[in-house]
This record gives sequence, C-alpha cells and structure tokens, in this order.
Amino acid sequence: MHRRLFMKTSAAAALAAGLPASPSLAQAPADFHIAAVLAFSGAYGIIGKDMRQGVEIAVAERQGRVLGKPIRISWEDDETRPQPAVQKATRLLANGAQMIFGAVGSASTLALQSLADQRKVPLLVTISADDKITRVGGSRYTFRTSNTLGMEIRMCVEFAKARGLKKIYGVTADYQATRDGWELFQAEAKKAGIGIVGNDYAPLGNRDFSVIVDKMAKSDADGIAVMITGNDAVTFLKQSGQVGLGKTKAQFGPVLQDETLAAAVGPASVGVFSGVRYHFSVDNAANKKFVEAYRAKYNEWPSSFAGEAYDGMSWWLDVVDATKSWDREKWVEAFRTSTRENSVEGRKVMRTCDHQAAQVGLWGEVVEGQAPLPPLTMKITNTFDAANLFEAC
Amino acid sequence: MTTSHLGRLAMAAIIAAMILVPVIQTSEESLNLVSLILIWALFAIGFDLIFGMAGMLSFGHAALFGSGGYALTLLVTKAGVGFVPALGAAGMVGAVMAFGLSIFALRVSGLFFSLLTLALAQLVYILASTKLRSHTGGLDGIPGVPRPELFGIDFYDNRNYYYFLIVVFIVGIAVMALLRASPFGKALQAVQANDVRAAQIGYNVQRLRQCAFMISGFYAGVSGALLASLMFYISPQMLHWTTSGDVLIMTVLGGKGTLLGPILGVAVFEVLKEKLSQYTQHWYGILGLIFILCTIFLPNGIAGLFARKAAGRPGDAP
Amino acid sequence: MSTIVIGLSLSFLLFLLAAGLTLIFGMLGVINFAHGALYMLGAYVCFQIVNWTGSFWIGLLVAPLVVAALGGAMEIAALKPVYERDHIYQLLLTFGFILVIEEAVKIVWGLDYKQVPTPDLFSQPVALFGSQIPSYRLFIIGFGATVSLALFLLLERSRLGMVIRAASSDADMAQSLGIDVAKVRTAVFALGAGLAALGGVVAAPLVPIELGMGFSVIIDCFVVVIIGGLGNIRGAILAALLLGMARAAGFTYAPEWVELITFVLLIATLMTRPAGLFSRKGRAA
Repeated sequence: MHRRLFMKTSAAAALAAGLPASPSLAQAPADFHIAAVLAFSGAYGIIGKDMRQGVEIAVAERQGRVLGKPIRISWEDDETRPQPAVQKATRLLANGAQMIFGAVGSASTLALQSLADQRKVPLLVTISADDKITRVGGSRYTFRTSNTLGMEIRMCVEFAKARGLKKIYGVTADYQATRDGWELFQAEAKKAGIGIVGNDYAPLGNRDFSVIVDKMAKSDADGIAVMITGNDAVTFLKQSGQVGLGKTKAQFGPVLQDETLAAAVGPASVGVFSGVRYHFSVDNAANKKFVEAYRAKYNEWPSSFAGEAYDGMSWWLDVVDATKSWDREKWVEAFRTSTRENSVEGRKVMRTCDHQAAQVGLWGEVVEGQAPLPPLTMKITNTFDAANLFEAC
Repeated sequence: MTTSHLGRLAMAAIIAAMILVPVIQTSEESLNLVSLILIWALFAIGFDLIFGMAGMLSFGHAALFGSGGYALTLLVTKAGVGFVPALGAAGMVGAVMAFGLSIFALRVSGLFFSLLTLALAQLVYILASTKLRSHTGGLDGIPGVPRPELFGIDFYDNRNYYYFLIVVFIVGIAVMALLRASPFGKALQAVQANDVRAAQIGYNVQRLRQCAFMISGFYAGVSGALLASLMFYISPQMLHWTTSGDVLIMTVLGGKGTLLGPILGVAVFEVLKEKLSQYTQHWYGILGLIFILCTIFLPNGIAGLFARKAAGRPGDAP
Repeated sequence: MSTIVIGLSLSFLLFLLAAGLTLIFGMLGVINFAHGALYMLGAYVCFQIVNWTGSFWIGLLVAPLVVAALGGAMEIAALKPVYERDHIYQLLLTFGFILVIEEAVKIVWGLDYKQVPTPDLFSQPVALFGSQIPSYRLFIIGFGATVSLALFLLLERSRLGMVIRAASSDADMAQSLGIDVAKVRTAVFALGAGLAALGGVVAAPLVPIELGMGFSVIIDCFVVVIIGGLGNIRGAILAALLLGMARAAGFTYAPEWVELITFVLLIATLMTRPAGLFSRKGRAA
C-alpha cells in the first residue's frame, strides 16, 4: 500500500515539475519523513550521536513541523559501512521518506548519492568532507552545507603562510581523498615558497607512528602537516606527544582536532592547529541562540558535528518550508540557489554549480579551557575568507 | 546430518513462502529484504558446497564475492558489456579467483587452509583498497553500479529486479541440488568423510576439491555481482574478511551440509538484523546473544529442527 | 639504532597483544575471535581505574584481573558445552561474544573517546642513539620482556605448566591422573583473557580508546600467532620480534607498503611452514 502511494506521489511529482500547478496539499503525506542514516556504533558512533542532537534542536526550534506537517525522523545506524547505509536508506525511502540526511563516512555518503539520484530524493550532507561529493556536473540531489577537505587543505596553506613556516614534513593517510589533499597542499605550498622536506603515507588504521615521528623529529622541518583524521590523528598526536614533537615544530592539519578528538588525545593536544568546521564560540546571534538551546537540553557544548548538522538541517527546512510545496524538485531548485545570511557560522551561499555551500573557514588552536569550557578546547585564531578557499566554478 | 523428507518439504515450503512474501505484501521494505536474502542465499549455498559438502572451511570467500562484484561493475561501465554476459563473466572471475586461491591454499589442509584463505583474501582486500585504487575506487568504492537491461523491462524498479533475482536464484539452487545428488557430490562427501580412503579407492582428491572450490567461487562471483547491482554500489568492504565471517555465520546458523539450511540461516540473520535495529539501539548485543544461544542449543543449525531424532551426535557433521 | 629500539617496542607490544590468543589456541584448541574485544575491555577498565584512582599502575594490575575473571565466567557459561564440537562452533561463539562485549562497553562508557595519559614516570623522552625515544617505549620493552619470560617459565618449566600441557594434549588421561581438566581449562581461558586485557592496558597510552579498537588489532594478533606457530608461546615471541623489526624497517623506508609486506610474510609462512616459522618438530598444533 505504501508502495502504491509512493509510486503515485513520485509520478505526480515528476509530472508536476513541468506543470504550472503544484500538487495540492490535500495529497500531502501525513508527515515530513527524514531518513537519517548516520553512524551510531563503532568509532564514528559519537559523531552520529552529536549530529542527532544538533538536528533535534533544529526540529524543536520550529515546533517539530515543516510545511504544516510534523517532522518524523528515522535514525538508522550504517555501522560506518556503505552497504548497510544503502540498505537502510532504501528501506526508508520505500516507506515514503522524502529525503536522506547523512552519512558520516564519505564512502557511505558517496554510496547514498547513487541511490538519491536513482530515486530522485534530496540528500543533505553536513559532515562527509570528500571533495568528490560535490562537484560540477555531479549529483543533482546532493547538497553539502559543511566544509570540503579541499577548503580545509587551503586553510592549511593559508595558516603556513601566516605563521611564516619554511619547511614542512607531512604525514598522509593512504587514502584517495587525503592523498589528493596532500598533492594540493604541496602544490599550493610551493607556490607560496614553502619547502617540503618529506612526507610519509601511513596505512589507514595505522596504530604506530613512532618511526615516522622519529623521522620528523630528526628533520629540520618547522611545521608538521598531518593529513590524517579521526582515530589515526589521535594516535599520531598521542605518540608525537611522547617525544614532545610539538615543542619545536608546529603541528597542524585540515581536520586534526576539535574538542572531541582533543579529549581523546589528552594534554599532548595543546598547541596543535586545525581546521574547525563549526565552533560554539563563533560570535553571532544565531549561534548564541543555538548554543544556549543546546546546552540547556544536553548540558554540554555542541561539537562541530552537532553544529554543522543543526546548521544544515535548519537551513534546509527553512527553504523547504518556503516552497509551500511537497514537490521534491521544487525543494532542490530552491535550495540550489539559496543563501543563508544568518547561519551559525556566518553567511553561507549554496553554489548552484556544484551544490556546495561556500563559507568562511575557521581555524583554531587547542588550548586549555577554563570551566565551564571543556578542559581542552579550540580557540579560533584565524577566519579565512571564502574567496580564498573555493575555486570558482 | 540427515533431514527427513518431511523436514525437507517443510523447509522448502517455508523458503518458498518467504520468497513470495513481496508478491502478496506490497511494501517495498519486504521486497528489498527478500532481494537481499536471495542474493546472500545464493552466496551461502555456494559456500556450503565446499564447507558443508567437502569439509573445507574457506575464510577467503569475500575475495571471490567482491571480485565478482568488481568484474560486473567494470565490465558494464568501462567495457560496455551487456549485463547478463557480464554476470556470467563475474561468475567466471569468481571461479578463476578460486582457482588462484586454491593453487596456494590446497597445499595445506584443515585449519591452515582456513588461515591461508583468510590471509590471501585479506591481501586482495588491501590491494583493492590501496594499490589498485585507480580501478576499484579505493575505499570509497564505485557508485552507480548498473542493473540489467533486458526485454525493455526497467530493472531499476526494485520489483522487476526482484523477479530477476528469483529467476537466477531458482537456476542456482536447481543446479546445486543436481550437483549435490550427482556422483560428484557423493565423491565430495567421501573426501570429507575420509580423504585417505577416498584417494585409495581412486578419487583424485585434490582435483575434486579444486573443482568444488571453483564452483563455489562461481556462485560467490555471481552473488557478489548481484549485490553490487542491488545496492548500485561496490567497495572493497565486500572483500573484507568480515564478509567471509558473515557468510560462515549464516551457513552455520542455518545448518551446514544441507541444501536448504543455509538459506534459512541467511533469512534469519538478515531479518534479525533488519528488525532488531528498527526496535532497539542495542540490536548489536542482542544479535550476539542470539548467536551464542544458537551455537549452544542448536548444534545442527535451524535445519536441525527439521531433522529426524537421533540423527547423529550433536555438532557431528554431516 | 633508534629504529631498532622502536622496533623492539613494536615487537613486545605485538607479543603482549597476541600472547593470550596463542595461549588459548595452544591449550584449548579454541580460536578466540573475542580476543580483540577483551583487549578493548582491558583498555576501558584501565581508563575507569585511572579515573578513580589516578594511577596507571593500579590499572595495569587490576584491569587484567577483572577481565580474567570475566573470561573465566565466559568459559564456564558458554564454551564448556561446545568443546567436544568442531572448531567452527567455538569460533561462532566467540564471535557472539564480540557483539555482546561491544554492546556492554557502549552501555557502560558511552560512545565518546576515552584516554589514558602516559604515566608520569615515563612521560619524558630519553635521548638515545641520536633520537628522542619516548621512555614509555622503553617501559614496553622491559615489561614485555618480563611478561614473555614469565609466561615461558610458567608454561614450559613450572609444575602448573606441566598440568596445563597434560590437560591439553590428552584430557582423558589427565583426568584419570586426578587433574581437574575442567578447572584447568577455565584457568587457561581466564589467563588468556587477562593477557588480552594486559595488551589493552599497555596500549592505552598510545592509542585512542574507542569501540573499534579491538576490531582493528585482531588481524595483527593472528599474524603473530600464525607466523609463530599456533599455540607456540616461544614462537610467538620470535614472530613478534621478526614482525616488529620488519615493520620498523618498513616505516623507515616505505610506510605505504608495510601492510602488504606483513601479509606477504604471513602467506609465505603458511605456504612453506604452516606450523609456524619457529616450530620445533612435534610442536605444531
């Protein structure tokens, strides 16, 4: 029965795209159903949990309704693997979900993209950073409101320039996106007259960086570019901390640290520089309101995952609401040309060409925080202009 | 283990009923779930040919499964081969990979066979996710794996694809039933029971094992290709050793050494995963508990429930 | 030279990770897939103890005991009924344990990262051979060497070891000689679980403590155990040394090939000497 209804509405939607009249609200579904496919177990489980908390604030802010109907979200765990991600999203779409939210890992997100295109449902991405997710001529139904790895790499270059670093030693995860990232960094650094004294590709999931750290310590580099994220980044910083690498060389990376990862590293994270996707300290009215609501509800500071999820979802829901239509094509058309003036990170502009939100880049340093701040917290040191971080389409 | 005629009939009836659920109940959810079960069941009955019939525990089937998926993806998208020939080719690639593995792995026996197949498959996984990334898409995989185009039917519609899967599945299970009943099947059982005696009465034991392994590889290749096509996506995750672990668990859960047991195992495994995760966050742990209880109390798997009483010692195979 | 010191620390860490796995296999014939989960549990329990007491050393002492007790309970409750069956059932059972342990850890400690700081005593690097070597690495070498020696003596030279070996090579005979085989098995499994936890505690200051950590070490453990020869403690020590040194050299010259090298080594061993590179005749499992 559900299927028939789904087939009818999608057929109607497809027809309606070319017709002047939008489907009347009488035909609208009972609720606005979001298929949220995130990681809730394993290493990325914490990310899924925070994203959920962020989204719940966004939904609560609008009294749980959009287009006059209640918002219903199905939270599914993809175990950070593409196959369960596609499987669970397929099931939810079959049950009438109007959009997909997720995933966490870039591989899962890339897999969901084919599904979204196939089923013609919007896919909202607020965490996966792989550049391939938003590209010119890419998926019509995918939108990313958060950072790309590419822009974070450019922030690294801007930081190296601003800091006056002369020689860089890199360590890069043996993974396509980070390899591309390192190539980009190397090229941009050379243009800026910064020397590269070495780079090691470490296997993903590497648990021992001591030999690489030793090579770095012996080199004459004044900067250590860490093109590694998540668990491996924590492992690297814990181990480089044991020889005090950061005392003589600036350690920095595109997504090296935030409050969550700094807590995992411990004291060795102090003085490490990193790109920051969202930060609760950003000073604007929208952010103050969000942080207040978040702290009141969860009694903790919103992480970058929570903030990005909140930001992307509230932007999306506002745009959907403004279309006053249940036609998914209308949502897509409206979102691809929209601008968020009052995002929690400042102004965000959805680029029509690749569906990537252009935005400022935040850059910070891990410092010791005073209560009520977390014991290790990011201090925003630089805010880079969007124009320097995104290539024109 | 022997199942009674009645038991086998009952199992067949349950499986047939399950497969036909989406025909009656029109929700896409059951359609998707049954499609998944059909594919994994094909993989599991192929796996059981060497595990249950020939008594060799391969921990390298993920490599066969995944290479089938990659073969189909690359042949259709890069070389422009039609879907059905590519599906056959995926099976062949699975068989050839199995042949390759067997050259190494059949030099050792018992537990070492399992470990060597595990190590070789893991090597394939590492190669696919790193050094061969230009072909495999690395850990990000390849999105947009196609579906068949036949007789003007749109197989991108899940229902049509589901009918396609039923056809492949029925062919697969019929061939497997014939194989198991054939002299080849009997010879495999003889080898499992006592390989020295089997050699003495004139069987070429190594050749038999190699053949079984390749047929099993063919099934793995085809099912891997079908899964990639169902998901529109393939990644080295399919080659990871946990995939081998999954098919093993399903087979043991269902009842190794039986034709229909593994299919029930697949169904129970997939349905449990799917349903538990909808109702509780703690599905992971509950699934673990169920495995533990099944292992202790259902030594012959689900198929054991359909067996004659006192059909051999518990856990004694076959 | 510094590479050798680091290589040694890698080796002993690998040995600590794998010792329990090879012990349980050698003495009980059980492939314990839950080894990685017990390793993770060890790290979490250590985190909890450090949180309460502020002392890593208490954690090092207590966490393995806690996990060993749990291991003993697991053996009594679940493994006992399946010893007589095929290996595959034990494997399946321990796989079930992975899921249950992970779920329990998730319920107790939640999803966020935990960390155990490097103990103060070993938090400063030492200058050695022109490198700054973390003193914690030197601790791992010393501690690992002590544990391996102790295990070797326990199993090969002590009366208790004799009893264990007797029970594993012929349970019926041992039983009729008055050895309580059931108790010995429980003790061995508990010891193996405790060793897994010990590995987790020692690794805790080096890696993030999170739910996936057990999963990621299990393959490494298998590599050591296989190259050393299944169930062969002496072989595991030598295999860990070989592998640790090979990895240190690999990370020095070609980090991106390290994983491939590991597997090629493993496959070569299985092909040429399946009973392990370091097996004596008749010691093969």
